[in-house]
Amino acid sequence: MRRLDIVRRAGRNLNQAKARTLLTSLAIAVGAFTLTLSLAAGNGARDYANKLLQNNIDPQALFVTKDDSVTSGRGGSTKLQEYSENSVTGYRAGSTVKMLTRDDISKLERRSDLTQVVPIYGLSPTYVQFQGNDKKYSAPVSYYDATLTNEALAGSVPKPGVQIADNQVVVPEEFAADLGVKPKDLINKQVFVTFTRAAQSPTNEQIQQAFLDGGQQAVAALVKPEMKTYNYVISAVLKKSALALASIPQLHISTNAVRLANDFSEGNSATAGQVVGVTAIAKGDPSVAKEAIQKQDGLSVKTAKDLQGVLFTFVGILQGIVAGFAVLALIASVFGIINTQYISVLERTSQIGLMKALGMSRRDIAKLFRYEAAWIGFLGGLIGAALATAGGVALNPWITEKLTLGEGNYLLVFAWRQIVGLLVVLILVAVVAGWLPARKAARLDPIEALRTE
Amino acid sequence: MIEVNHLVKTYGKKKNLFTALSDVSFTIPDGASVAIVGKSGSGKSTLMHTMSGLDHPESGEVVIDGENILQFKQKAVDAFRSSRMSFIFQSFFVQGNETCYNNVSLPLEIARVPTRRRRTKILKALQAVGLEDKVKSRARDLSGGQKQRLAVARAIVNQPRILFADEPTGNLDSVTGAQVENLLFGYNKEQGATLIVVTHDMDLAKKCDMRIMIKDGEIQDILGGDRI
Repeated sequence: MRRLDIVRRAGRNLNQAKARTLLTSLAIAVGAFTLTLSLAAGNGARDYANKLLQNNIDPQALFVTKDDSVTSGRGGSTKLQEYSENSVTGYRAGSTVKMLTRDDISKLERRSDLTQVVPIYGLSPTYVQFQGNDKKYSAPVSYYDATLTNEALAGSVPKPGVQIADNQVVVPEEFAADLGVKPKDLINKQVFVTFTRAAQSPTNEQIQQAFLDGGQQAVAALVKPEMKTYNYVISAVLKKSALALASIPQLHISTNAVRLANDFSEGNSATAGQVVGVTAIAKGDPSVAKEAIQKQDGLSVKTAKDLQGVLFTFVGILQGIVAGFAVLALIASVFGIINTQYISVLERTSQIGLMKALGMSRRDIAKLFRYEAAWIGFLGGLIGAALATAGGVALNPWITEKLTLGEGNYLLVFAWRQIVGLLVVLILVAVVAGWLPARKAARLDPIEALRTE
Repeated sequence: MIEVNHLVKTYGKKKNLFTALSDVSFTIPDGASVAIVGKSGSGKSTLMHTMSGLDHPESGEVVIDGENILQFKQKAVDAFRSSRMSFIFQSFFVQGNETCYNNVSLPLEIARVPTRRRRTKILKALQAVGLEDKVKSRARDLSGGQKQRLAVARAIVNQPRILFADEPTGNLDSVTGAQVENLLFGYNKEQGATLIVVTHDMDLAKKCDMRIMIKDGEIQDILGGDRI
């Protein structure tokens, strides 16, 4: 019998048992629905992650750390670390992290394959004041990232790749709102950022000398923390971007200003000048620069691509969990198909006997039942995928709004190639499920089958 | 010509051994109408199944046009049946859910007749049995006599050289039974095809050229033919 004729007969057989076919395929539809959604969510999440990276990270950017645990997401070591003079360790969230020293940083700065080496100092000003406002605020301060495409709501930002002036500060849109001021009114106003330098532990001799010189007051002054205020002029108010990676609103000053402030505030601390990480721009191929730095300086380097990989791993894990449930649903539906097809074979014993008497081969009879199973798989897949796609497309704008993904970004991105692939897989699953019933039909003794009724 | 030589068919083992056919031999000339007559359990159905290659006897041969079909491989027997033989059963075995057209189409599909040549054959067969106005009706909506006529159409559509009919009128009243008989003998005469009717109905058997009387798996008598 020709394949097309068998497929047609299989389709008609199912069409004649509509309710049963539909119910059996609904089981597969549940799995197909979930799989379609998980595929779509994976696409959407990867697209979104890519957009985030493209908007936030220069593809040439490198992130250099001493300790790869910082960037691998594993957290620092919680084990007892052996002390070494050249590798200074810092403590973050209860775990030990090796920090980059001044030496490491200057080595990186001297490299010919790198430019714009920026240590990521964690500045924590004591307080911040805005001109025309008496209140003291606490606000994080970090460096202005020239590798980003920054968009000014008021004032102006320099071209990408160009730093702001050392006396300038860029304020996020949120702060303007918090201050209750229109963004454009902030431009050219001053911002005063005050840092505190922890007092040095004075030696006994210094204390004695101070006591001799100025008595009790001089000693108190010796251990008093020192404070310093830096003035900056607001050059721009930054527009909030849905695609910004750092969601915390903060003040941005030039890299030089950051270094100055850091040198002051960390001046007396044992970990002065040390940073967790450094960003740099590779002049050539970032992966080549990465190899070289890792080999020559023994530092851990992540490229923009590596970061993408880390994000994609997370997306993949989440997607895998959802897909796992869908696969469970599919396994359940497999037994549904086996059951239905077995009953179908029993019901149609005489039909099978007749077909055998008319010379239909065992192989063709098995095919007939397998194709019926395939139809069930196709139908179920189509129902599930169609419902998921229709529902996803309808809900996408709402999801985007709720998750503030930004205009034009969708969580669920449906790719027809994937859906076609999914349908093919489901058809194969159904065919495998139909294997045993089909074999039973093929092996039926025609004489026995024709004796019924 | 169909030669049946020393067919032996048994069921069960040792104590429960039951001999369905014991050393059955006869020859049927081409184009003959033959009745295999016997009571139920006499082995007449087993004989028909064996002659058509559906059943496998312990020994003996069935030689059709010079070829012993019992030595064929399964595939070859299937192909032989689909191209040379056809069947009509007491309980019709039409597919109630399918249309008359698709019921008749089945043997053509099995024999891999190209789609474009099927239509005329199917319509011709339906016309021959007087069901030309039921082409698109579902088989389950037909009466018993119409169903058996549909079965005849299905049996003759691929113009088989051998037509087996197992109690073809057993489930029909005398009027519709006579219609079906006429159709079968008509096909036998017009196409020169061999018609083998399995029945316990002597009236039907008497209309055949040749009668093979069978009892307890043995041939009692052959009327109108030659016993080998």
